[in-house]
Amino acid sequence: MIQHASAMWKFRHFLMALVKLDLRQRYRKSILGIGWSLLNPIAMTIVFTVVFSKVLGDGADPIGYAAAVLTGMAVWSFLRDSALTGCRCFPQNEAYIRQSPIPYTVYTLRTALGQAIHSMIALGVVVVMITLYQGDPGVLLRVPLMLPGLVLLFFAAWAAATIAAFTTVFFNDTQHLLEVAAQIVFFLTPIMYPRKLLDDKQMGWIVDANPVYWLLELTRSPLLTGELPSGQMYLAGLGVTFALVGLAAGVVAWLHKRVIFVL
Amino acid sequence: MASIEVSGASITFTATQSKQVTLKEYLVKGLFRRTVNPQIAIHALTDISLSAKDGDRIGVIGHNGAGKTTLLKLLAGIYTPTDGKCDVKGSVCSLFDISVGFENEATGWENIVYRSYLQGESPATLKGKMDEIAEFSELGEFLTLPVKGYSAGMRMRLAFAIATTAAPEVLLVDEVLAVGDMAFQIKAKARMKSMMSSSRLMVMVSHDLNTIKDTCNRAIWMRRGKFVMEGTPKDVVAAYNRDVAEHAAAAEAQVKAATQPKPAQAAQAAAAKVA
Repeated sequence: MIQHASAMWKFRHFLMALVKLDLRQRYRKSILGIGWSLLNPIAMTIVFTVVFSKVLGDGADPIGYAAAVLTGMAVWSFLRDSALTGCRCFPQNEAYIRQSPIPYTVYTLRTALGQAIHSMIALGVVVVMITLYQGDPGVLLRVPLMLPGLVLLFFAAWAAATIAAFTTVFFNDTQHLLEVAAQIVFFLTPIMYPRKLLDDKQMGWIVDANPVYWLLELTRSPLLTGELPSGQMYLAGLGVTFALVGLAAGVVAWLHKRVIFVL
Repeated sequence: MASIEVSGASITFTATQSKQVTLKEYLVKGLFRRTVNPQIAIHALTDISLSAKDGDRIGVIGHNGAGKTTLLKLLAGIYTPTDGKCDVKGSVCSLFDISVGFENEATGWENIVYRSYLQGESPATLKGKMDEIAEFSELGEFLTLPVKGYSAGMRMRLAFAIATTAAPEVLLVDEVLAVGDMAFQIKAKARMKSMMSSSRLMVMVSHDLNTIKDTCNRAIWMRRGKFVMEGTPKDVVAAYNRDVAEHAAAAEAQVKAATQPKPAQAAQAAAAKVA
């Protein structure tokens, strides 16, 4: 484990150079450039404040509803996209894998870091939006409160990308299965609707049993309420992240040597 | 101090006829114990032991598919042995598959950076080497263009220039690289020679038996993932040549037998002619 980590550290320059390249490629040759990652949340804000706040929220606080949904979407799409692009990770880096004996987790980290930066931009839009709407620069002070949640979220996403990458090498329909699973989890997680909607119908247990919800709340609730989540919630989030990272570490230990023969 | 210590190493892996298994197939196989996609065990290397120290120049010969490249990849750490041990000490530079693995959308300059980092350089050590690599590749202005527009020869030049800038302790070479045009080949050969002499330990795979005799002090002949013979290059190459000649003679006899009409057929043909 320590050996693995020190080997990864040795190739940090390689990793960072490739992440930079990925980001540049993502926004190059497009009319809006980096504006694309701004356009999506801004366009969605309009739809959410105008329409959905009345349908799914209580209609009293359209901007509050939009902020909750956008934060939720940013966190959720970070997790989902990390896992889904993780599936293409090893084929994409196959030439490097066949040439150099560096740990494969470097490549899944490349995937997760790229997605993380993309999601940070979306989250930034939400922060700016809330600050402007409330006319209170104090909202910016909530950003540090999100950090513990974001750190946990990042490790969870990296673990998800790693598990997806290794699984895809052995079962090439993993990505399709993941897409279906992601769709189901998306509807079961209170992203588009407030948690109250399920609680009122005595279905709160669905939310409590959902690991994505715990990761989501650690990032979302400090931004929306300005208060740190309870220690219990941190414990839950920590548990989810540890479980995912543990599973990923197990997968790496089990399959790292075998991937090259199957790829 | 560079050393190679391989003891009883084997590489065995299972391959399926179609490259990947779907999860569906895996479940079906589990349920019905039968599959349309049978697994084949491939013994790429069997019980290999090799020990080398500073100053050794090892040449590996054998037919295609004998396991020579697998041996190099084992030494490079890309393959881990499924059995036994492989321990290589010293900084390793491997010269195989070098012309793949460019980031196609990135420029030549950027690819120099990525590749060098992959070889373990840091921004500080790379600074002085960038110009040297560019100069050796002779690509000049082309380096500012994306690599996707490069010809195969240009890629090879760039890859060779990057890969050979390192000063490794252990050098692993697969075949003598045919790089670019005549002028560049001469340059490349000179660079290879200087790398071979400056590295502490070298393992080279080649079909050019004269190169092996000229540059190596030890030789290994491989067949079907096993060492057939180890010894001085002169002895091993001679034995290998005898074996190749025997095989060629046997193959020739076979071809002759197949193309010559058999006596019975000849008689029939003659009878048909008479009729």
